[in-house]
Amino acid sequence: MLTRLAGGRVIDPANGRDAVGDIFIRDGRIVDAPSSGIADETYNVSKRIVMAGAIDVHSHIAGNNETMGRLLLPEQRYPSDVVHPGHFPQPRGTWNTFETGRIYATMGFTTVVEPAVLPHQAMQAHLELADIPIIDKATLTVLGNDDFLLNLLHRREGPDAIRDYVAWTLGTSRGLGIKVINAGGVAAFKDNLRAFSLDDEVPVYGVSSRAIMKSLQQAVHELKLPHPLHVHCNNLGMAGNVETALATIAAAEGLPLHLAHVQFYGYGTEGPRGFSSGGARLAEAVNAAGSVTVDVGQVMFGQTVTISCDVLRQFNARNGARPRKWMICDGDSNGGGIVPYNYRGTDFFNAVQWAVGLELFLLTKDPWRVFFTTDHPNGAPFTAYPDILALLMDRDLRTEWISRLPKEAMAVTTLASIAREYTLTEVAIMTRAAPAKLLGLKDRGHLGPGALADIAVYEAHTDKAKMFREAALVFKDGQLVVRDGALLDYPYGRTLTVHIERERTIERRMRDYYEERYGLSPDFMTVADAAVGRAESFETIPCLS
Amino acid sequence: MAEAWIRGKSAALDVAIAEAASLLAASRLPVIAGLGTDVAGARAAIKLAQSVGGVVDHMHSEALLRDLDVMREAGMMVTTPNEARVRADFLLLVGPGLIEAWPALPERLFANRRIVWLCPDASAKPENTYQNMVLVGDNPLDLPVILPALRARCAGRPVANPLLALATIDLLVAELRKVRFGVAIWSAARQDGLIIEMLCGLVDDLNKRTRFSGLPLAPSDNAAAVQQVAGWMTGFPLRSGFGRGFPEHDPWRFEASRLIDSGEADCALWISAYGARPPAWKRNPPLVALTAKPDTLGADVTIAVGRPGIDHDAVEHLAATATLSAVSANKPTTAMSVASVLGRIRAALPAARPC
Repeated sequence: MLTRLAGGRVIDPANGRDAVGDIFIRDGRIVDAPSSGIADETYNVSKRIVMAGAIDVHSHIAGNNETMGRLLLPEQRYPSDVVHPGHFPQPRGTWNTFETGRIYATMGFTTVVEPAVLPHQAMQAHLELADIPIIDKATLTVLGNDDFLLNLLHRREGPDAIRDYVAWTLGTSRGLGIKVINAGGVAAFKDNLRAFSLDDEVPVYGVSSRAIMKSLQQAVHELKLPHPLHVHCNNLGMAGNVETALATIAAAEGLPLHLAHVQFYGYGTEGPRGFSSGGARLAEAVNAAGSVTVDVGQVMFGQTVTISCDVLRQFNARNGARPRKWMICDGDSNGGGIVPYNYRGTDFFNAVQWAVGLELFLLTKDPWRVFFTTDHPNGAPFTAYPDILALLMDRDLRTEWISRLPKEAMAVTTLASIAREYTLTEVAIMTRAAPAKLLGLKDRGHLGPGALADIAVYEAHTDKAKMFREAALVFKDGQLVVRDGALLDYPYGRTLTVHIERERTIERRMRDYYEERYGLSPDFMTVADAAVGRAESFETIPCLS
Repeated sequence: MAEAWIRGKSAALDVAIAEAASLLAASRLPVIAGLGTDVAGARAAIKLAQSVGGVVDHMHSEALLRDLDVMREAGMMVTTPNEARVRADFLLLVGPGLIEAWPALPERLFANRRIVWLCPDASAKPENTYQNMVLVGDNPLDLPVILPALRARCAGRPVANPLLALATIDLLVAELRKVRFGVAIWSAARQDGLIIEMLCGLVDDLNKRTRFSGLPLAPSDNAAAVQQVAGWMTGFPLRSGFGRGFPEHDPWRFEASRLIDSGEADCALWISAYGARPPAWKRNPPLVALTAKPDTLGADVTIAVGRPGIDHDAVEHLAATATLSAVSANKPTTAMSVASVLGRIRAALPAARPC
């Protein structure tokens, strides 16, 4: 069957297209216009905006830590005004797998990356992802505080051994890429260190955070993984940590490196409270470092919960929990920490954080290198996306927000002076074309022939938050799943993994290692299709050629 | 071999499934309880509960919620069994039920480190004690006095009448201060919530100077895995209900035994695939039982199911790793899984749920 979306404003920056025109869909893919111009069904989308389905590169939507968060905060909900009556299983904004898929889809998102899967807990992450409907998913595998890697570095075994180990772990956990979270800092905390920076060494192993990060960056590069090493730096959330971010950017040394939720590293030490925005300096460094990409991790005001594998940071933050309850886990490698938090518009520090995020969006010049995230749920739930897009696209709206925030907080940022407003094309780059490129997903993020028919159609409202909160139409693999912000059906999507060859020698070596260190076979980590329990759960993408 | 019974008489599976579906469909508020099953069974049970507007509760929810309540009321620092094995130089075993909760505990964790067992039960018998183990206190009922005394002494405060010689407690305090990475182990199935909170408070205090973490031992019957599944599918722990069309959580309102004994719930589906544990309630509502052993609970409908990880492949919570992991059947049979039975019951429900 041939489907035609007729007469919309098609914004497809990957293909250099921004014009009124048609999109044709057949068998779940976008196809060329037929010579006859006749389709079996036609949706009139005139005066509407047509974009590819959006892609989120960093959102904690699944896994043991997220679910411990759900258990810890049964009162936490996705802020959702919309009650969906009828036949859908869970009609309110409950923080669960079904609502995750539903709310993402109604905003026009069709692919989301869960960025923190510990290898030993990969099974649970994939089980949860399989239960999220509509959207496609992918995971990043977390390394950098694991005994095996630290030992390889300690013994100076060289890049080949590290590369083989990274490939083995990525394949076993069925990830799309590799992430490092406070490299070495979590391992150091187990040895009672309470602070850890880029050039500090992990006790016992005697390797620095920098060395760990560089070795993983190198391995990712040599393995030709499409997604660069995804880095959660040291010193998250601390005053003055912009220096850490700048040092980490410098350490990229021209090779691809993705820095996650940089808002949380955009802090200087100026002003009366010794806490100020370093956003301008950080953005300048990103602008100058062409091989570096960042996602923002925007803060928005309201109740949320911070969930992180940065155990050291979460431990240090636990007594600031709002409300006062928390869970910290010293894991096999990274572990996790769950600390509820309420960002308040009356709080000096929270207001600075909010401004730093927007500065980073607005001062980073290249929309291909800055990505749209709240580090869900750490800066805000992903349900805040439409409001953030509105702030980026409307200076007057920002001015109005700024007028309601503490003046002394705004005084230590440059936000009020920034005139830039994102265009729809820049939004389409930042949320579609660029993430597809960053993740190596060639048939996503654009609307050219051959692309997956993951398509979002929006009303051209002046209220941008309303526009992006409830898509007019959303197609997933060519199937209409959302109309006027309401779910029509919930097919289950796939989890994207990268195809990677694993050496036999490392397989043997890992078996011996697990037997010796844990007295266990590594089989407990295996993520088998049958165990995930949903047919055609996985889709494999190739490495770079 | 018979696989289904209706009121004690062997029945064809299809007939038993249809009877189970009609009992559930006729119910105003069914409970789906026991939930001794694998991840697939838990997923299917929650889906079924959604379809019939029922309540989900696990036979060990009480223990699960005891740990969870400490987390939800205060805070909890924990570690994994693997990390305890490779890193701990000291184990603080607290109270009874530890080896009962994890029979492999001595084999996995007792070697090569200093161990103090505070107020053990009789399982701290000679074959389970090691040269590196010291028993402090001999009655689990003394814990509510001894543990707070230990925490107070760690904080440098005076205590009165701690039931033990003060010197014994202070010796332990001195030892705790020298620990590099200590792990406190307890079993919520046999422990009071306030004791767990006190212990977690002690662990947090100890982290001011050194590293210490907790290791809560999970209850049996795959309870921890079922709780995780409930967490991601509903957003809530167990003891949640779908009676109003969406999930709600309330540890009191949705307790299966209370619902049955008060008459609020008028039908039960009981799942005990790791054995055939009976429910603890006193009334006898219409009952559908899915158990690993044939007709032993006198239910209206009984369907025999396979044991997860024994008769069929399964995903379960492993005590050794505290992860959800795939387990291959070690004696594969053709016995049906809980998931497949529940899927067929759900398919046999009348299309529209009566209001």
